[in-house]
Amino acid sequence: MTSRDRSLLAEILPLEERAIESVVGRYQRVAGAVTRVARTLTGREDLRVALGSSSRASEHEVVIDPGLFQAAYGRRAPVTAEETALASALHEVIHLVSSDFDECRPLPGHWLPDDQPRPKDGEEITLLEALDRAGGPPAEALFFAIEDARQERQGLEAYPGARSVLEDLYRSSLRRALAGRGPLTRFTIACFMSVGGYVPPEHLERLLDSRSGAAWADSRAVLDEASAATDPWDTGELTMQLLAIAKAHSLIHHARPDDQPHARREREDAEKDAMTDGLDRVRLFSPAVQDADHYNEVRQGAEDPTGLDHRPARMDRTSGEGTDQLLMVSQAPVIYLPNGQSGKLAVVPVPDSFRSFSHRGRAALMNAAREWNVDQRRVGGELHPLFIANQRRGLRSGFDAGDLSPHAALLLGGGLYQRMFERRSVSTRRSYAVSVLVDGSASMLQPRRLSAPRDRRPWGLAAAMLGAWTLAAMCNELRVDFEVALFNRAFAAQVDDTEWTYSRRRAAAISELRQSHGAAADRLTSTVNHYVLSAFHEPWRRSDDLLAGLFWTAAHSSEAGVEARRDPRRTPPVSLFEKGANVDELNVTYAAGRLVNHGARVRVLVVLADGMTRGSVEALARSVEEVDGRGTTVLGIGVGDDTVVSAYRHHQVISRPDELANSMVAGVRMALRRGLALDGEDTWWIRAGRQQTGSSPLMPELRSA
Amino acid sequence: MPDQPTKVTFTDPTGSGRPITLDTVAVPRSEVRDYEQRINKIPEPDPHYVDVGMLYRFAQVEKIRREQPDGTVPLHLAVRGHMGTGKDHDIEQFAALLRLPYYRIPLTGEVRDITLIGSVKLYGDGLGGTESRWEDGDITRALRGTALVNLSELNAAGAETLFALHGLLDRYAALDLPNGETVPLREDVRLFGTMNPTDLRDYAGTQTLNKAFADRWVIWEKDFPDISEIEAMLDRRYPSMRDVYVRHISRLATEINRSFLSTDPGTRVETPISLRTVLDRLPVGLMVYREREDPLRTAWEAMVLPHIDAYDIDHYETVWAACVRKGPSDPPFGG
Repeated sequence: MTSRDRSLLAEILPLEERAIESVVGRYQRVAGAVTRVARTLTGREDLRVALGSSSRASEHEVVIDPGLFQAAYGRRAPVTAEETALASALHEVIHLVSSDFDECRPLPGHWLPDDQPRPKDGEEITLLEALDRAGGPPAEALFFAIEDARQERQGLEAYPGARSVLEDLYRSSLRRALAGRGPLTRFTIACFMSVGGYVPPEHLERLLDSRSGAAWADSRAVLDEASAATDPWDTGELTMQLLAIAKAHSLIHHARPDDQPHARREREDAEKDAMTDGLDRVRLFSPAVQDADHYNEVRQGAEDPTGLDHRPARMDRTSGEGTDQLLMVSQAPVIYLPNGQSGKLAVVPVPDSFRSFSHRGRAALMNAAREWNVDQRRVGGELHPLFIANQRRGLRSGFDAGDLSPHAALLLGGGLYQRMFERRSVSTRRSYAVSVLVDGSASMLQPRRLSAPRDRRPWGLAAAMLGAWTLAAMCNELRVDFEVALFNRAFAAQVDDTEWTYSRRRAAAISELRQSHGAAADRLTSTVNHYVLSAFHEPWRRSDDLLAGLFWTAAHSSEAGVEARRDPRRTPPVSLFEKGANVDELNVTYAAGRLVNHGARVRVLVVLADGMTRGSVEALARSVEEVDGRGTTVLGIGVGDDTVVSAYRHHQVISRPDELANSMVAGVRMALRRGLALDGEDTWWIRAGRQQTGSSPLMPELRSA
Repeated sequence: MPDQPTKVTFTDPTGSGRPITLDTVAVPRSEVRDYEQRINKIPEPDPHYVDVGMLYRFAQVEKIRREQPDGTVPLHLAVRGHMGTGKDHDIEQFAALLRLPYYRIPLTGEVRDITLIGSVKLYGDGLGGTESRWEDGDITRALRGTALVNLSELNAAGAETLFALHGLLDRYAALDLPNGETVPLREDVRLFGTMNPTDLRDYAGTQTLNKAFADRWVIWEKDFPDISEIEAMLDRRYPSMRDVYVRHISRLATEINRSFLSTDPGTRVETPISLRTVLDRLPVGLMVYREREDPLRTAWEAMVLPHIDAYDIDHYETVWAACVRKGPSDPPFGG
């Protein structure tokens, strides 16, 4: 947790730290302890506390709307961020589990004004109905104010720390909430603060004007009683007494017999609004004790006796997508750049449904490889000896096979030859690893000029995919660890998404977040995404279908789009390639981190991108320099764009797809040569790659071509 | 030191059971060779000890043992509980109240049966030669006279070591020594044991108890004390500690220990707040830092947090924020 001396969150926390995803992320750090305390408060050891799109409570689960936390952060209170997360969560738990106003009883006759008809014999109604009938909207507002404070005082009695956070939050808003308000508002706020015990009476007295002060002074005994009340109906009884005091001091109008019902209702609604508007500037919002409408919504949400989330499966539902998106963003790792900036990166798997295009994708890959001259003769033939050389070097140094065990003699004697070597404590025994990062933004799908003057086709992403495929296939053949990832900035797809679910989820999330978070919705739904297509530990056979499918989508984007419109429930989410500027530096830093963590000695990161980063070229250049400086060779290949020249120390720019092979060969060769030079072996590798015949192990499809 | 029995009464802290009055045990001077040593091993009653029910339960079994209804055999009691729940302290206090010499024998993975039972050892005869003599092991030595033997950490010793004790613990009620001697379980010897639970917690060296060995014990669980019990313990031991400190410490310990016991990994911590922390370390911390602006916070940082795994710190601090947040600035003691 942060220092306890920190205060004034609004000033201390930078804007991005007050953003909802940071607030939720911070809550998740304390979520375990919050659940613990909530279980003690409720006496239910199986209680779950979860975040959701709307607050509700049942026997087994309390769901809290994370938007409630953010409201608490806006206050200038001497509390730390974690304390705020804790207190606002417990505040919500207390109200959700304590609010039950559904018990029916006869309406006490003395609550009713003289001009109102008496209740029928035997008639029983709920407390909120009784208050509405007896005192109208002002009675309801006053009841919720007192009940809110009563629940907090009693519910948090055993947790004075959490209660003191609420106290600080309320007191920090008190003076401003009272300023310029009418006596009725001041009286309501004073009742709330008194019942909750949040401010000493002598201090409160000084903040009130003469009329509200006089009414409050007359109410002191009733308020003391309300603090100790044990039953909502008792609170209702005390509310009616306070209402009478407010009327006696002319804070609330006496109803006249000649009042028109409509005019009377309007006046009462205005009085209620005055009471709650001011009070809401002090207290934290909680739907269970806000007003009757909110309370009924909460109770309806809790009607399911099991308390479980019975929302439809994700394929068919749209509600809650905003919250799901919020949680996804909150949990995304934060990537720190060398220039001190940072950003969230959504690391997600590529939707599996792209495999459905794999058959066509393989055929298209074969054609493209032939057309663009990206076959293994150019790539594999020239790089193969270098890879082999690296592997030999590794074996000689004992790095790949491990070190000779000090017990080698015993192991040999026992016939345990395979245990002669001890493994090093690294995650890989291989000497080098390759990571390929492909720009997956919509601009890569824009038509570009080919060799013929008027021949314009969207070859950018397709060429990049082909390059990734070629390198991945070769790495697989040579047993080199490799990883392929796609990056873009858009609404993040999930692994089981189809075009149908993806577009519906995106629309629902944007709509929900616009309602709850206004202008922040775009930022929250357009995330920087890192789609891991094939991870280091995954066999290539598990991913090649995916890459083939993605290649087909890239090479035949129009056809893919038509298919998606025709049968969206079966088509992969082709619309994930949205137009949105990437943040390359976050992806480069993250991919390089994965390479380093993998443990290989010689590391090559190939980035295939088409243009500007949304961040800055300087930031990208510094990130690349930092990665380069730590021993990972970063090769930037610009597809039809020369931004890579400014950002990458090792770069190639291609303006035609057939140049890709040359670029990759040159770049990777340079990286491998650098790896060999580390061991002083920089001469023998200069051996021309021999042209391979039809027995290609790297692209078997070419054999049959 | 009186050699004559006196009366001691055990009361049920829940109030539901009738008080049990037992005679204390008199160590028979004539029957035991190491009388003086044994007398010195009778523990003193801890004036600050609060029985939360375990002594009463022990006394219930003791009463039956003394009445010896037909067909009964001596039962041996083992207490299982997490660290810092006061298991050994309970047994020691039972020995103190009954005035039984108390032998606490820790079992570890390194303990072997010869350590417990005894072995033949070589001694110099002073003339350049040696002679072999039998030397009692820890348990055998204790069994030769009036004693309460506490085999602590029962499940730390290997099963093959404990097999040697099977005969002692069952109807046979005797220990056969390798030298041919049989040491019977005396009427005035009581066997107790303690152990930590063998779950996923980090109790290095423990293992699941052999079923046959476990079957020779009555195993009772000892939970962490609840909030009122901790308050009572603090009040008893530190009567001058201000109420607000007692309340805060008790609440903190209770909440953290509930988290420790949670089966839900999302709300669980790996380190509990032991009674040693509550009754020893934190109060001393309050004494040390009594002049600080927030003595409880300073004691918490100095005496509690250093024991915690790094990944539990957030949880501990959140519980602190909920239960205390700003500790009292009053002096912890006095007034």
